[in-house]
Amino acid sequence: MIEVKNLSKDYKLKHKEPGLKGAVKGLFKPGFETVHAVKDLSFEIGEGEIVGFIGPNGAGKSTTIKMMSGILTPDKGSVLINGEDITKHRKTVVRNIGVVFGQRTQLNWDLRLGESFELLKHIYQIKQDEYDKTLDELDAILGIKELLNKPVRQMSLGQRVKGDLVASMLHSPKVLFLDEPTIGLDVSSKYALRKFIKEINALRKTTVILTTHDLGDIQELCERIIIINHGEMMEDGNLSEIVDRIAPYKTLVVEFYDEEAPEIEKCEMTEHTGNIAKYKFMKNETTAAEIIAHLSKVKTIKDVSIEETGIDDIIRVAYTLM
Amino acid sequence: MIKYLYIVKTQIIKSLTYEFNVYGNILMQTIIMITSAYFWKALYRNQSVVAGVDEQSMLTYIIISSALSVVMFTNVERRIEQSVIKGTVATDMMKPVNLFGVYLAEDIGSIIALIFQNMIPILLIGGIFIKIPKMADIRDLPLFIFSVLISFLINWLIAALFGMLSFTAVNIDALIQVKKHLLRLLSGSIIPIWFFPEIVANVLRALPFVYIYQLPISIYIGKGDRLEQIAQMKIQFLWLIVLFALFFAAQHRITRKVLVQGG
Repeated sequence: MIEVKNLSKDYKLKHKEPGLKGAVKGLFKPGFETVHAVKDLSFEIGEGEIVGFIGPNGAGKSTTIKMMSGILTPDKGSVLINGEDITKHRKTVVRNIGVVFGQRTQLNWDLRLGESFELLKHIYQIKQDEYDKTLDELDAILGIKELLNKPVRQMSLGQRVKGDLVASMLHSPKVLFLDEPTIGLDVSSKYALRKFIKEINALRKTTVILTTHDLGDIQELCERIIIINHGEMMEDGNLSEIVDRIAPYKTLVVEFYDEEAPEIEKCEMTEHTGNIAKYKFMKNETTAAEIIAHLSKVKTIKDVSIEETGIDDIIRVAYTLM
Repeated sequence: MIKYLYIVKTQIIKSLTYEFNVYGNILMQTIIMITSAYFWKALYRNQSVVAGVDEQSMLTYIIISSALSVVMFTNVERRIEQSVIKGTVATDMMKPVNLFGVYLAEDIGSIIALIFQNMIPILLIGGIFIKIPKMADIRDLPLFIFSVLISFLINWLIAALFGMLSFTAVNIDALIQVKKHLLRLLSGSIIPIWFFPEIVANVLRALPFVYIYQLPISIYIGKGDRLEQIAQMKIQFLWLIVLFALFFAAQHRITRKVLVQGG
C-alpha cells in the first residue's frame, strides 16, 4: 500500500546570532546551518493498518508525514502509494489520500462548513449520490449535519476538527494521514475522534497513519508503532512486542498494616512511602502471585495492585536511549 | 475546469461576506479621480490639445483608469506569502488541483464581486461629478475588452511571479507595497507616459507596465490611429508570452522548494 524508501530531507536554516549586532551581521553575511530532519527512513505499510508515529517534538514525524502526503518533496528517496510515486504524480495520488492537521484547518474560515464541503466535492469531482452517501455515513459517526450551516470561524476547536475529519474523508481516500489530531481536544471530542478512526478503519479498510503525543490515542488505536527520533527510525513493530522488549517489567504495589516493608528475592523495591511499597519485577523471571506468596509468609498484606508498564514508560525509555 | 469555476463561485460568496472592506477603495478612487480632474483642468487651461489628447478625453482617461484598477486587483502575492508564513500551503498542496490555478480562480472571483461592489460605484461617481466617460468610438469595444483581458493576465502574472519570491524570502510585505505603487506610476495609470520626457517614455514603452493601463485606456479614448494601436497590442501580447514563459519555468522550480513552517 505505502512504500517508503530511503527517505531523507534536510533543512537549511539561516543561522542568526543574537542581538542587534547579530542581526546586522546576518544581513551581510548570512550563515547557514543544515538540519537533517529525516535521515534514510524506510518502511512499508499495508492496507487497513493503523500505524502510530511517535517521537519527541522536532523528531521529524511531521516532516515524514508531509513527504508521504506529497506536501514536501524529499531530497532523497521515494514514497510510493499504491505503487505510484507521489512526487511525480501528485495530482492523481492525492485523490487516494486524506490529511488532517490538528494544528491547522483545511476548511475555509469565511465559509459555512457545508459550503466548504461543496467546494471539496467539486475539487475532487465526487458524484452527488456518492457524496450524499459518504456524508450520511460520516454523519452517523460524528454527527456533523447539525454543523453544516455554521461558519467555520464560529466553531469550537472540537467542532472544527470534526469538520476537518469529514472534509478529509469526503473523497473516500484509501489512506488517511492524521498529524496530531487530538491536540487540544477535550475528553469527549478525543473519544469521538478515536471512535471515528476505528470505525472508518473497520468499515472502509482505510489505512491510517497518525502522529501523536497522546498516549491514549496509541494505546486505543495502534497495533503498530514507529518511533522516530532525530529523523531516524528507532523502533518499528507491534506495540505489545515493543513494550515487552523495551520494558519487560511490571510493578506490584503492596499496602501493609505498618511502615515496615521486607525485601524479597527476584524483585526490587523501587519506592517505599508509609504503608505502601512498590516492587518492580521482570515478567520473565517471576510473577506477581509468586511475590505475593513470598511476602505473605513474612508479613500481613492489606491490599495489592499491579501497575502495568504503560506506553508512557516505553516512550520515556525509548527517548532517553536515543 | 469545473472545479476552478466552482472556486470562482466560492470566492464570490466569500468576497460578498466582507462588504465593508470595499468602501475604503471607493473612497480612495474617488479622491484620486476628483484631484486628478482638477489637476488636468488646470493643466489644460493654456492648451487645448496635448499629444493628440484634449481635456475631455483626459477626464475620461482618469475615470476609466480608476475603474480599471478594480480589474487589476490581485491577491495572489499576498495569498502565497500568507500561505507560506502560516503554512496553509500544505492544505492547498494536498488537493488534486494546480496551486496557481486555484489562486487565479480566487482572484477572478474577487474581481467579479468587486465589479459590482467597486467598479459600478466608481463609474457612477465619476459620471456624476466629473463627466460621463463615453467611449470615443463604440466600434473599438471588442478591441478594448480584448486588450483589458491581456492587461489583466500580464498584471496577474507579474503579481504571481512576485508572490513566488516569498517561497524564498518568506516575508515580502514591503516589496508588495513598493511594487503596487511603482506599477501605478510606471503604467501611466495616473499620468500617461506621453507627458514624460522622451527618453523615459521610450524606456517605459519597452517595459510591460504601460500595457496594463495606458494601452487599453488609449483605445477607449481613441488616442492614435488603428495601426499604432495594433503595433502596441503586439508588444502587449509579446510581454504576455514572455511573462507566461517565466511564470511556467518558475512554477516548476518553486513547488520543489515548498517549505512548510510550523509543526
